[in-house]
Amino acid sequence: MKNESTIIDVPAESSSAMKGKAPLIGVAKDHTTSGSGGYKRGLSIFDFLLRLAAIVAASVAAGTMFTSDETLPFFTQFLQFQAGYDDIPTFQFFVIAMSIVSGYLVLSLPISVVTIVRPLATAPRLLLLVLDTAALAFNMAAASSAAAISYLAHNGNQNTNWLPICQQFGDFCLKSSGAVVSSFVAVVFFTILVVLSGVALKRH
Amino acid sequence: MPTSLQVTFLLTLIVSSKPIECGIVRNNNSSSWKKLAKESTTIDVGESSTMTKSRSHVVADDKKKSFVSATTRGGYKRGLAIFDFLLRLAAIVTTITASSVMYTAEETLPFFTQFLQFQAGYDDFATFQFFVIAIAIVASYLVLSLPFSIVTIVRPLSTLPRLILLISDTVVVTLTTSATAATTAIVYLAHNGNPNANWLPICQQFGDFCQATSSAVVAASIGIVFFILLIIISAIALKRH
Repeated sequence: MKNESTIIDVPAESSSAMKGKAPLIGVAKDHTTSGSGGYKRGLSIFDFLLRLAAIVAASVAAGTMFTSDETLPFFTQFLQFQAGYDDIPTFQFFVIAMSIVSGYLVLSLPISVVTIVRPLATAPRLLLLVLDTAALAFNMAAASSAAAISYLAHNGNQNTNWLPICQQFGDFCLKSSGAVVSSFVAVVFFTILVVLSGVALKRH
Repeated sequence: MPTSLQVTFLLTLIVSSKPIECGIVRNNNSSSWKKLAKESTTIDVGESSTMTKSRSHVVADDKKKSFVSATTRGGYKRGLAIFDFLLRLAAIVTTITASSVMYTAEETLPFFTQFLQFQAGYDDFATFQFFVIAIAIVASYLVLSLPFSIVTIVRPLSTLPRLILLISDTVVVTLTTSATAATTAIVYLAHNGNPNANWLPICQQFGDFCQATSSAVVAASIGIVFFILLIIISAIALKRH
């Protein structure tokens, strides 16, 4: 092992400029991490607020359909004319599906809070994206099948001799159509939530 | 030991401020020993040339490692992109099948009265018309998205094509689910009817028509499953590492 020796000059009177230069070495910040964490945190907060709005939309849809009973004021000797959501299996499916979707949204609020607190973690966002996609498909299925039945109730089908029932059951029709519209609003919220999660997952 | 001897020798020389021989100060560029009282220390740089060589070798290894990790990350993402492409081809087949089966689902009953002949076709139902048109739109979207999928195979690490595919896949899965669910509701009515609304089931007369529409609904549902898989693949591939 050969020793290499050098002689280094350390001036006894160090200037103030030289004193000032040394502490600056370790100050360089990693701006990229805090920057991308900032905008992702903003996306997470928007995600949380959208979830609250979707909870309102989904539960309003389920509740309105559930309470859409109507009893007509006239009756014959044999039967009283009633209409409720449980007379139509599609509307039963609608109520159950929207309740499940509302429950899922309430349970997903903590995961959304986790994405706010830890904006750079990707596992919660991926989980939310997958579950939101499934909930979106489920919500859309319930909403559009109820919409098809509502269309039939309003217009009927002459080829199959299915008569429109809205002319007798006006209130029932109104409430069930309102519930369908509310669940479509929830579908729009879900679509935005899925797109948000996808954008926030993108690397930078 | 020679180090400390050198240091003490130099310090004693400087402290006593005697003129210094030229041999010691040959590395020192300043010649004004009389003006500035400088302290010189001798530092032993005790490295051998072999150690220097190995350190640079380690730097090259780090470069190699980052390159290798980039290709492995690209490797599994490329695998996901290929699976995505194949799923798209399968979904194209499924959706075209669904749309065409519904389109050709006609039936004419062999008996007729003096006034009308009993026929059933997809255009007798507004929902079935919506189904045919929506699934055809979805099939053409899938064909148009094949180039984007090929781009994700060729460039596995770029995120923009995947993000575009994710967003448009979400919109399309919504449309497909809507058409399929509405048609399912009508097909259920056709099979079972609704006694409360006095809607009679028509499948008992139009058996072939009912079968064809039910098959179309099943094919479209399989397409929905493919779409959900496509969305999950895009999401996993977008994830940072």
